[in-house]
Amino acid sequence: MSATHDDHEPTEHAPGPVVLAVSKRHPRARTIQVVRPGMADTSFLAATAKGLGITLKHFARNLFLPMRKAAARSKAGAPTDVSWRNEIETVQYPEEKVTYPERFRGLHRLMLRDDGAVRCVACMCCPTVCPAHCITIIPEESDNPGIEKRPAVFEIDELRCVVCGLCVEACPCDAIRMDTGDHARPVEDRANAIETKATMMERGIRSIARQGGEGPNWRAHDHGSPSGDDEH
Amino acid sequence: MDILIAILDSAAVKWLFVVLVLVMPLASLLTWAERRQSAMMQDRLGPNRANIGPIKLKGILHFVADALKMIFKEDFIPANVHKGLFALAPILALAPVLIAFAIIPFGPTIYPHHLRTAIDPFELAQNPGSAAFADAIRMQMFSIDFGLIYYFAVLTLANYGGTIAGWASYNKWALLGGLRSSSQMMSYEVAMGLALMGAFLVTGSLEPGAIVAHGATASMSAANPFNWLWLWQPVGFVLFFTAAIAETKRAPFDIPEGEPEIIGYFVEYSGIRWGMFFLAEFIEIVFISSVIATVFFGGWQVPFLDVDGFRIGGFIDPATHVSVGGWVAPLPHWLVALLQFMAFGAKVVLLCVVQLLIRWTLPRFRADQLMNLGWKLLLPLSLANIMVTALIKLIFMGS
Repeated sequence: MSATHDDHEPTEHAPGPVVLAVSKRHPRARTIQVVRPGMADTSFLAATAKGLGITLKHFARNLFLPMRKAAARSKAGAPTDVSWRNEIETVQYPEEKVTYPERFRGLHRLMLRDDGAVRCVACMCCPTVCPAHCITIIPEESDNPGIEKRPAVFEIDELRCVVCGLCVEACPCDAIRMDTGDHARPVEDRANAIETKATMMERGIRSIARQGGEGPNWRAHDHGSPSGDDEH
Repeated sequence: MDILIAILDSAAVKWLFVVLVLVMPLASLLTWAERRQSAMMQDRLGPNRANIGPIKLKGILHFVADALKMIFKEDFIPANVHKGLFALAPILALAPVLIAFAIIPFGPTIYPHHLRTAIDPFELAQNPGSAAFADAIRMQMFSIDFGLIYYFAVLTLANYGGTIAGWASYNKWALLGGLRSSSQMMSYEVAMGLALMGAFLVTGSLEPGAIVAHGATASMSAANPFNWLWLWQPVGFVLFFTAAIAETKRAPFDIPEGEPEIIGYFVEYSGIRWGMFFLAEFIEIVFISSVIATVFFGGWQVPFLDVDGFRIGGFIDPATHVSVGGWVAPLPHWLVALLQFMAFGAKVVLLCVVQLLIRWTLPRFRADQLMNLGWKLLLPLSLANIMVTALIKLIFMGS
């Protein structure tokens, strides 16, 4: 509290209460005029009528005007003026879906090499960093003499996953991603909530990223060419 | 034919007709309409998914799904409840609101022998008991002189349902809900009854059928909207509507329920027993709408539709029984009766929608605000309304 508060007087800019009397011994103790709501306010009639008008306006508008989202869904070039349409915001979920942001973390997928093999080298970074301990990897020896290991088993329990994305951050090979834009699907059996290597590879695509440590710096090259690390 | 008319004219048949054709479908639909309408008012869609195969009907079938769910739920009775009263309470809540419909004139009197012709209104007015009009089906179960008093008496019984449910549940919150319910009912019944006394003074009758048939004054046709009591008793109408909404125990007067506070007197109920309370609440909405439509909005009267057809302006010459002046469109009796039935239904549905609108617009009153409104505003205003009405009647009508 600053000292200016003590001698504060009502001004035009900040109209305060009407002061009826000021105490001589304690100048801050003042008698102010109290405005109590009258019968017109306590009977709630005016406020009720106003409120009913607002809700009735929304009700009538949403009942009689066509859907706003129908205009948005229609083909390009449709009139963008939606002022004469209703205000319903509901998304009819299974039929309609909102577009998630680009960086939405969804269901996992395993990325592929050019030959379709899994990119993962079973380095165990992701199960190590996973705070929910939902990733299980059992490594095995790779057929490719240039690659040491690959996962024999790669399972993620989507019921335990907290969708933090640390596995994606930890991966040195761009092998695991969460950019599918999809949710973990509802299941009737807990066992069905476990994503296996096969199901996650089904969603995978070939990555253009160079595998860590091999060849020249991939950032120096053309980003658009989908060339794998095996070419170098 | 006479037997058929006698059967159709019996109170039991009429009660079944009212309950099965008017009340139950409307109350069931209201459970869906309330959720759907509240959603629309809040820029949502509301329940629109229940379907039988491809038949969706905008989700109307949700009330079927709800009813099936409630019927097949476990009939759970908590330990320590008073089993007899616990079972009795939902019935006490539901039965009175169904019985109360006995006084509602839900349609015009039908004269089966005149269905194909236009009835001579002058003839009917002069000799209502003559042989030509002896066979009549009155669309009102009990035409009793103290009809509106009967309504207050019966709906007071419905209050016992909530109070006994709260007592029998062996639950503090339920008991609080029951107490709140009874205190609210007692407070608002006073104002509600006195609000209708103005209508009694204007029409000189407490019989709803007579109020509908004669209107406020004999100088105009009862079908003239300006002869309906909303114009003659505007204050009485607002007061009665307010008190009647309080009587249904719905927002903004839902302190007996008060979901965030005490859940209410039916907190221990589940399944179809709870469903009976729920249904009773919605039937009460339909009933309040029926009473308001009957007393204040001309009941089954269609604007400007007399017993022999539409008549705007003009009058009937008593000597020749011919309309003089005005615009007249004669209609056969069956069409007139059908239009009047539909008018009553439309008025009731519209008033139900208005009640839902109020319920989803206003927040709940505090208990003290509720009592202040009831005792300090509605009661004095309704008393003043009676005085002013009586004075005006004495000065301008001299009786």
